[in-house]
Amino acid sequence: MNEVTVFIMGKGYRVPAGLTIMKAMEYAGYRLTRGCGCRGGYCGACATVYRLKGDYKLYGDLACQTTVQDGMYIAQLPFTPAERPAYRLEELQARGETLLALFPELARCVACNTCTKACPQKLEVMDAVQAALRGDIPGVADLTFDCVSCGLCTMRCPAEISHHHVWQLARRLNGAYLTPRAPHVAQRVEEVRAGKFKGELDRLVAMPKEGLVAAYKARDIEP
Amino acid sequence: MTSYPKEMQESIARVEATRPARLSTKFPRLSLQEQETLLKGFHPDYRPEGKRRLRVGPSWGEAVPHELADLLEAYPLLDPKAVDVSRPDVDVDVLVIGGGGAGTVAAIWAHASGIPAERILIATKLRHGDSNSIMAQGGIQAADKPHDSPAIHYLDVLGGGHFTNDPKLVRALVEDAPEIIRWHEDLGVMYDKEPDGTMVEIHGGGTSRKRMHSCKDYTGLEIMRVLRDEARSRGIPVLEFSPAVELLTDHGGQVVGAVLWNLETGEYTVVWAKATVLATGGWGRLHIQGFPTTNHYGATADGVVLAYRVGAKLRDLDAVQYHPTGAAYPDQLVGLLITEKVRGMDAQPLNRLGEPFVHPLEPRDVESAAFIRECLPPEKGGRGLGILTPTGMVGVWLDTPMVDILHGKGTFQRALSSIYRMYIRFDIDPTREPILVYPTLHYQNGGVVIDEHGWTGIPGLFAAGEVEGGVHGKNRLMGNSLLDYNVFGRRAGIAAAGWARLASPGTPTLAHVERYVHELRSAGVPPERKAPLLLPEYRGEKALARMVDLL
Amino acid sequence: MKTIAYFPGCALKDQARADETGTLGALARLGYEIREIPRWNCCGTVFSLVQDDLMRHVGPVRNLLRVQAMEEEKVLTLCAMCYGTLARSAHFVEDPERLRRINAFLDPDAYQGGVEVIHLLTLLRDEVGYERLAAETRRPLNGLRVAPYYGCVLLRPRPFAVDDPDSPAAMERVVEALGGTAVPFPERTECCGTHLTVTRKDVVEERVGRILRSARGGGADALVVTCPLCHFNLEERRPAGTPDLPVLYLGQLLAWAMGEDDPGVASLVGRAAVSSEAVR
Repeated sequence: MNEVTVFIMGKGYRVPAGLTIMKAMEYAGYRLTRGCGCRGGYCGACATVYRLKGDYKLYGDLACQTTVQDGMYIAQLPFTPAERPAYRLEELQARGETLLALFPELARCVACNTCTKACPQKLEVMDAVQAALRGDIPGVADLTFDCVSCGLCTMRCPAEISHHHVWQLARRLNGAYLTPRAPHVAQRVEEVRAGKFKGELDRLVAMPKEGLVAAYKARDIEP
Repeated sequence: MTSYPKEMQESIARVEATRPARLSTKFPRLSLQEQETLLKGFHPDYRPEGKRRLRVGPSWGEAVPHELADLLEAYPLLDPKAVDVSRPDVDVDVLVIGGGGAGTVAAIWAHASGIPAERILIATKLRHGDSNSIMAQGGIQAADKPHDSPAIHYLDVLGGGHFTNDPKLVRALVEDAPEIIRWHEDLGVMYDKEPDGTMVEIHGGGTSRKRMHSCKDYTGLEIMRVLRDEARSRGIPVLEFSPAVELLTDHGGQVVGAVLWNLETGEYTVVWAKATVLATGGWGRLHIQGFPTTNHYGATADGVVLAYRVGAKLRDLDAVQYHPTGAAYPDQLVGLLITEKVRGMDAQPLNRLGEPFVHPLEPRDVESAAFIRECLPPEKGGRGLGILTPTGMVGVWLDTPMVDILHGKGTFQRALSSIYRMYIRFDIDPTREPILVYPTLHYQNGGVVIDEHGWTGIPGLFAAGEVEGGVHGKNRLMGNSLLDYNVFGRRAGIAAAGWARLASPGTPTLAHVERYVHELRSAGVPPERKAPLLLPEYRGEKALARMVDLL
Repeated sequence: MKTIAYFPGCALKDQARADETGTLGALARLGYEIREIPRWNCCGTVFSLVQDDLMRHVGPVRNLLRVQAMEEEKVLTLCAMCYGTLARSAHFVEDPERLRRINAFLDPDAYQGGVEVIHLLTLLRDEVGYERLAAETRRPLNGLRVAPYYGCVLLRPRPFAVDDPDSPAAMERVVEALGGTAVPFPERTECCGTHLTVTRKDVVEERVGRILRSARGGGADALVVTCPLCHFNLEERRPAGTPDLPVLYLGQLLAWAMGEDDPGVASLVGRAAVSSEAVR
């Protein structure tokens, strides 16, 4: 078996090549509680930092999505403390200054771009901070839609910004106030309330299986 | 850019050769009869050796997969005599067990129904939001277009479930659906919309109308994080890394709270509650019949085990949902979900020869059975036309480049960005090369029996989301799980709040556990078997063999 | 059409949107194709929290880098504060050793140096020219008495001053070219105090009062500024009893004269026309 040496929290282990960081830790005998969630790159629980032999850079990535390399020095981040101010969406207005008022540390961004380099999703994080700074809510929402809130940018930000909380608020403001509502959804809600489908559903709920099978077979399928 | 080995590339060349002719054709759909034959021949659920009949508990005699039976026929992880439940560490009106979608929705609606935030507690095994809910990619169904109706949605759900569903639950599901979507709009969920606000909706497997709403291919993530933020806005307390290991009951059998266990310190916490909502999700991490899974780390059927011990009935747990398209290559991605939306956007499944062999959007169980038939060797009744990987996995192609060819360059990256990102990390570009897929364990179709208010029939105990059964019968359609947890999370939250206002709980005990232990002994269950599982065992065999517990 | 890279800055994209629209319209009429930098960050003026003299330049130089990527040689700003910040950093990295150190932070990109930062005022003076400005004016200002206010950052520090720091003349010439009457006044190069506008409003108010009284004393009908931050302070930080003097952004005058809509200027010029007819 082709093996590599990885250093988990500073201690060396031989593990099969090709494993993800997460599986390599488990192979080495770790039972994960922190640092492991969906195991598929969606939840952001497994933020991990590492260095490579002979390279001065500190890298960050998701343990469940990153293959180990020989000589990798690995440490997991169990948790990223981040400040989320108290707010209720319904009491806010989707105006440019809303983000800055709730997250004033945005103005401390020095455009160093460290956040962007730290992002495992390869998002343009700094551009999103800058968009937030100038009150461009749809811009923030769009740039950060694929954010998994892993906290790696937050851990490395010299301006102490709590990025994923800013993004969350921007996306909610965008979705609730800056995007037109679907008129057909509102109309259907009214129709259901008015009982438009009640009779038909009553009939279907009471229908024996043979009738249902026949009705199912007779469905016309939207192309 | 390609990381496919040579043998796989040869098959890709065949895929490319047949592509031009396939662009304008689709494999015909199967009749109900043909579907049934295929299922019986090739779906893992129809292998009798995969299951056994339960020998204890309220659903005695029902067949479930061995992996689940081993947990139901198991002794408590927590020794009832080792804990003192006569005094509460936390005393609340509504305890929600599980911090995924269903639990969060239930907590929000309990709060919206008048229970103060500090009288609610969400207890969850991992972090708030770490769940299958956050991993859902494809979408959520709701019949909200003029040419669609809740009645048509009803028929689709029933047909998908092979007419085994609980009609009143399906009715609740389809009738509440439009209102759930509107609620999400209020909360700020960023659904894919046309510039005028009209929802972009597509087909899912087994739907007769285009009613799949999505948020790119991060639908689950987007909805879950908005709900979590809303729960935070309302100040609802959350206890993370604190799974419930046992429910509490009073002398009348009413559920009156739970014992939680701190995963990090090992300390237990006694929670007294007037109403308890079980929202612990599914069972993917049991790896039924050895299948890989799309599920999150904590999907270990804990809630089913806990509910069964207090006397809740189970249903349809003989039916396992295998998602037809789990990643089969590269090795690092094996088992991960490739959303049905990829097929909804016209990528075709193909065999080694580059030939289509099934309609891309049959119901999930049928689609999975077709993939398995294509891959099984002829001596096992299959066609032997799967593609082998260097590590011994087998799979069929999903012709992903068709998405951009048919819908315009850039569509894949925009609409399926999570899938694109997943593969590009491993030097596979799904807009230029097909990807290899094979069925993967995806969903717990059945579960704890509930009524249309999420009540389990046990006083004080409600259930919502994947842990409950009946909504989907023996097979769930795409886009109905996100809908399920919203509809029944909301209903259970409201019902739990109502119950909490009127309940008069007696003294909490673990008497039901002792009774269950007695039953297990009588049935001759081996004493070393313990449940709930809490976390799957993934530690390396070499490390485990040399592990000793000293501290 | 002549292309020019354009750096808007945060104020013009948020609070001071009105200052941008007309100005860009007018520049289009003068034959400029304005290419907004596709990705830009704050000019860097808020980076005063940085403690060394290196990090504060990373953000501004990143903007210059983006101009370089557009293959443009110059970048236009409409804001004096952005001008000051960008010009200072452009000057800072003229030294190769400093450029090397900044580039270490911009890795994997690298700025080559040489992008020139210009302000609307210098564009009008050096590229368009007063004569052409006068020739292209469709709606003259009718002798409107305008007091040009430079503030500080366009003129200080000296190495990147756009004009003689002690006796600037460019804005007066522009006002005249557009058909207005320039009203010089002693406080025209005083700082408005914007760095203290949040923490020490009293300091800013004292200055704003002085500036506006001085301009009014010279007989001005309006004050014209080169910066949205000065604009904000001169309107929002007026102490009680300050003369009711309208404040306009330079681009507004330009926009009006070139035929763009600007309700603020329209009402003033209307009044000026009436008063000059009355004099006649």
